[in-house]
Amino acid sequence: MEYVYSILILVGIYVILASSFNLIIGTAGLVSIAHPIFFALGAYTAGLLAIHFHLDPFLGAAAGALVAGAFSLMISLPSLRVSGDYLLITSIGFQLGLLQVIKNLELTGSQGGLNNIPTPVPGPERGWIFSAVSLAAAAATVLVIRWIVRGPYGRAIRAMRDDELAFVALGRNAMHIKIMIFAVGCAFAGVAGAIYAFYYQYVSPEQFEILASGTMLTMVVVGGMGSTWGPVVGAVLLLALPQAITFLRLPLAYMAPLQGMLFTLLVILFLFLRPQGLVAPEAPAPLRARRK
Amino acid sequence: MLDPAVLAQILWTGIATSSYMVLFTIAFALVLKVLKLWNFAQAGMMAIAFYAMYVAVNQWGLPTAAAIAFGLAATLAATLAYEVLGLRTLRARRSSSLLFFIFTLVCSEFTAYALTLVFGTEPVPLFPEILSPTRIVAGVAVSDWDLLAVGVTILLGAALALYLRFSRDGQFLLAVSDSAELAELYGIDARRAYLVALAAASVFACAGMYLYGSRTAVIPTAPLQLMLFAVIATLLGGMGSVLGGALAAVFLSLLQSYSVLVIPSQWQGLILYVFLFVTILFFPTGVRRLWNTSTRS
Repeated sequence: MEYVYSILILVGIYVILASSFNLIIGTAGLVSIAHPIFFALGAYTAGLLAIHFHLDPFLGAAAGALVAGAFSLMISLPSLRVSGDYLLITSIGFQLGLLQVIKNLELTGSQGGLNNIPTPVPGPERGWIFSAVSLAAAAATVLVIRWIVRGPYGRAIRAMRDDELAFVALGRNAMHIKIMIFAVGCAFAGVAGAIYAFYYQYVSPEQFEILASGTMLTMVVVGGMGSTWGPVVGAVLLLALPQAITFLRLPLAYMAPLQGMLFTLLVILFLFLRPQGLVAPEAPAPLRARRK
Repeated sequence: MLDPAVLAQILWTGIATSSYMVLFTIAFALVLKVLKLWNFAQAGMMAIAFYAMYVAVNQWGLPTAAAIAFGLAATLAATLAYEVLGLRTLRARRSSSLLFFIFTLVCSEFTAYALTLVFGTEPVPLFPEILSPTRIVAGVAVSDWDLLAVGVTILLGAALALYLRFSRDGQFLLAVSDSAELAELYGIDARRAYLVALAAASVFACAGMYLYGSRTAVIPTAPLQLMLFAVIATLLGGMGSVLGGALAAVFLSLLQSYSVLVIPSQWQGLILYVFLFVTILFFPTGVRRLWNTSTRS
């Protein structure tokens, strides 16, 4: 049963990550691949606060979200004022640079990672409580993002993404929207990181390298970039896939690259055969209203 | 007080070490210039080049020249498939830059995973012996590898400059880099120019991996890190300037080498990222453009 719980917890975590990444890359069209580092920031912040200050896990998750959101400004403020390409390059540099710092700081456990993070729920109840919290957090994330995207702010985001020049010409502040969306998306990743840290009680820098960006990207592209439910479908599907490979009972050395190959191959196939993903983006709400 | 001999040694070693970085940067900057594409798949091409040469040398026992030829052929074949089957389709569909970016990145990752599956994660050098004979010249240790690296880089850099300046195909590349649509109106085949630019980039990537792999052990994900250096150098040198990128690569390599004197070695990698932020904050169009602007004014 513990195995099923761990899968459910991962589903919750990855739904949060994929949905928030989709908000940034799909809905707002901001080309960044540094999402794993905000996941890491949430995990390390919650873990460190729990180890050193025995902070309440909900406050730890809130702190993780806050730190991830605040750090997102370090990328968005300098790079968004120039153009999309710069955000991409800055995001890669930021991710690898911060990982370099994490790997060298004693506070974060250096290369070995941060371990002995106290669990807020000890005992046999742990599995289902964490599953419930993770899935509830995932549901809340999806609903909040859906609410943002379907409301007037969502229309503004899409307008900015589709034609920034016209959007600015209408007197709207594109920079403000970009920075806000980037911060909100990264804050959600911070929450996912906190759940991860509290459940696994161990965080290591290797988990957040550039290849982790590929996994999240796969979930978004396969699920459907720009759609609310696409990343949810993508996350569930791509977490189920490695479980299916597990039954092949291949040596561990083959498992990770094989899984990575499948993920990246799926992205390539979807890019060419079904670029809209499994769940195509919904038509904007006002358009549907007019059709009625 | 710092010993001048030590400073001279760091300077020479830094220049020699910058050679493969210069080659990777030229490859990256050339593709960016002509195709207007942040070609993250270059890391995949670099990995293919290295492992093809590795197989040729260590498993088939081929001589070095044949191994390089095989590595180049494998890289060119992969590049051709990448352009013809991938990039052309995306261009024909007028895909967004986001899709191009995703495609280049996943191509690179797919290659890294596939090579990890075949070769594992154990670092392997191209040759069993990575030390080369060394001599002392004016108090500075100069190895055969250093001379080869600097020589190859200068030779290939000069060949590219001459090709772009004097050959018809080179001029076409420059025309397409200025405006592909306009170039096509004048009868220039832009698709051919893209292919030529990618092929030239493959040559540089292959040469760079030969130099890097003959001195250092490589793992399948190493080219991703190496390519990031090329990205930063391209940005620093000014997007669209191949020479600017190459000079920036030398500068960054020297900076990293000299930083040993003041920064603990484990923090050296961070210098690159600091530079990235400084560049984007203060010189978003590159130092070269800033220099041009100030000279004109």
